[in-house]
Amino acid sequence: MTKTILVSDKVNKFFGNTHAVNDVSISFNSGEIHGLIGENGSGKSTFSSMLCGIHPISSGKFLLEKKEINADSIVEANRLGISMIVQEMGTLPGLTVAENIFLGDEDQFTNFGIKNTGAMNRKAQSYLVEYGFEHINASRMVDLYSFEDRKLVEIVKATYFKPKIVVVDETTTALSQAGRESLYHHMNRIKAEGGTIIFISHDLSEVLEHTDRVSVLRDGEYIGTVNSDETTEDDLKNLMVGRELGEHYYRTDFGESYSSEVVLSVKDISVPGFVKNVSFDLHKGEILGIGGLSSCGMREVGKAIFGAAYDRTGTVTLTDGTTIDNVLSAIKNSIGYASKDRDNESIVLESSIRDNITLPSLDLLAKNGIQSAKKLNRFAKKNAELMKVRMSGISQYVSQLSGGNKQKVVLARWLGRGSNILVLDSPTRGIDVGVKADIYALMGELKEQGKSIIMISEEMQELLGMSDRIIIMKDGEINGEFLRSPELGEEDLIQKMI
Amino acid sequence: MNKKLSKLKTSKYYGIGLLLGIALIVWLFFKILVPQNFGTSTLMKGYLQTSIQYAVGGCGLYFIVVMGLFDFSVGANVVLSALVGVYLSRSFGLLGLILGCIICGTLIGVFNGFLYTTFKIPSIIVTIGLMLILESIANYVLNNDPSPNPGKLPSNLLIFNRAPWNYVVAISAFLLMGFILHYTKIGTYSNAIGSNELVAKTMGINVTKYKLLGFVFLHLFVGIMALLTVSYGSGMLAVTGMASMDRNFKPLMGTFFGIAFKKYNVPVLAIIIGEFIITLIFNGLVSLNVPTTINSFATGAVLLIIVTLTNRGPKGAVVK
Repeated sequence: MTKTILVSDKVNKFFGNTHAVNDVSISFNSGEIHGLIGENGSGKSTFSSMLCGIHPISSGKFLLEKKEINADSIVEANRLGISMIVQEMGTLPGLTVAENIFLGDEDQFTNFGIKNTGAMNRKAQSYLVEYGFEHINASRMVDLYSFEDRKLVEIVKATYFKPKIVVVDETTTALSQAGRESLYHHMNRIKAEGGTIIFISHDLSEVLEHTDRVSVLRDGEYIGTVNSDETTEDDLKNLMVGRELGEHYYRTDFGESYSSEVVLSVKDISVPGFVKNVSFDLHKGEILGIGGLSSCGMREVGKAIFGAAYDRTGTVTLTDGTTIDNVLSAIKNSIGYASKDRDNESIVLESSIRDNITLPSLDLLAKNGIQSAKKLNRFAKKNAELMKVRMSGISQYVSQLSGGNKQKVVLARWLGRGSNILVLDSPTRGIDVGVKADIYALMGELKEQGKSIIMISEEMQELLGMSDRIIIMKDGEINGEFLRSPELGEEDLIQKMI
Repeated sequence: MNKKLSKLKTSKYYGIGLLLGIALIVWLFFKILVPQNFGTSTLMKGYLQTSIQYAVGGCGLYFIVVMGLFDFSVGANVVLSALVGVYLSRSFGLLGLILGCIICGTLIGVFNGFLYTTFKIPSIIVTIGLMLILESIANYVLNNDPSPNPGKLPSNLLIFNRAPWNYVVAISAFLLMGFILHYTKIGTYSNAIGSNELVAKTMGINVTKYKLLGFVFLHLFVGIMALLTVSYGSGMLAVTGMASMDRNFKPLMGTFFGIAFKKYNVPVLAIIIGEFIITLIFNGLVSLNVPTTINSFATGAVLLIIVTLTNRGPKGAVVK
């Protein structure tokens, strides 16, 4: 007899113009492992983040055992019986293992404001032993342990208090086989005790093997729920993709439309822990798409080309034999880079549009080391207007702009510098349709001008719609390459991603 | 074997051993160069007594530096709290001296923390402004002192300038610091906020409250440092024009050691031994008759070398 324990009722989440989760209603049963799948950006993590108190809900509600809940922090969610093992690093360096496990819940060891550290360490150690992680010492700093061991600490942290709901958000990619087995074991234990696991993973075979039911999200919307033992990986892929290309702002031309001249050659580049022996050529006038799952290493390839991956080995060379080893040599040799993490890595938020646009070009704009304010203003204004940045003026702070206009400022910067090779990581992330169209149109124009673009993207439509050639990465390596073709579909890319 | 060695290398005993090893090397270095004028048992006691007052301030600074904040008003608070202690001692004796220093120091901490958390102004800006204000108040108070010896501590109250009472005060402060860090939530939360403020917030930690508490505890320790400082100097003179900043840096050096050795989970010992190492270097250079400017240069350089070697970040890491 199954019993519904958690219901999401028309849950919505907006991030500015982006409708990340759209009227999602799903029921979860007690004593089940419930898979939650979808493409990158489909809203899985946002949905679970709202449940776990990381993001507030824009509208709709969660009902736990028929009672409305609205956690405003992870600790509050824990108190309600919901916990989460997150995708990225979920432990805090500078704290001991025990402090991490009980962070926010130290009161159980505190009397009159005095924390019984010994008791807390002993309790944490007893959990670690119970979970089979006895090689981890509760009283030592968590920084001293590997990424995988820290994930094991997170498993204890998220489940020691016997929560009713545990969200496992793409955790298995960080674990070895032994770590995965341990995670599955504890998922099954929680299930046997009547708890519910919401299991988020891109590994569809893993999802089918370890879940009872699977719900699918696409573009923030709920598509459906299927029983795991009555479905196949292909069925899930169809549910995940289930749409046709047809957005009018993508390129409509097919066939080879770029020169055979190689402008940049990447040979055997590796970045420890991220990229293994990746090689490819970029041609003049080519838009080369690089895709894959979030953790496939494509981001680091972009950084490596721009000289910003500090442990890179292998070579990045231009036609004339110049090697690119650091950011300065990349900029000097006409390479521009826009990071996915726009606010932290691409723009200086608390600085003006003018300063942001002129930043890499100051050496070109100065005469004998002396800068002319007039010249800087003219340069910034010209490029901002070229990119149609919606602004009150070039002295406006970038922090006041929308995501799309911030991205236009980034592009204006590199266009102003005259970059011939652009490495664009997720160029349209979090950008509304209008600005998206502008950016795609610009990419088309740049291609026509003979400039070359490497577009790193998690969005398959974007890769298919804009690229002349698509490289798919998996586990840090190139796993497939496709030429632009009307027959090429998302299914072909997914096959190589997963 | 390798596993055992790597485990040992990350243990707190290794951290303490490393610190003591550095202290020994520094001592040997100067002892060989100037055997008569450096490092005798009497002089070593003197170095220790000097270093403990800065170590007390260093403990206080740890609370906010670990959260990524800074406070320029430490020196000005030492001056003002010491003067308040001196004035109260005239009416209330030893109790007035102790409470005057500590309560004045702590209240200034409450005020600093309140301004920082309420107005959301960067800590460096807030505390520079406060430093100027506190310096001016101290100067005003001293200039209007009717006593024939303004700012002077009565000789019958000079008990914290020598053993055992200076050690009693300092050790009590160190134990208090250790207690707060290891046996209250404040230590854990300060580290958590410094590590990732956003995650700390998401974990339900009241970041504003713990930042305010950080300032309060910093200046509580500054008050204790003021008690030792005024006793060692048998009085206090007011300064203006940011001259009190000089008093910020010696305690801060100990804090740097505490931060650098945080991974060994021995911040208090690291601050105490670190201050002792800095005092050894400073006095060793004095023994060599090195001019003050070169002395400061060498002390700063050695501090940088030690902290760099013990606290190297990964390649390409963003260091603020």
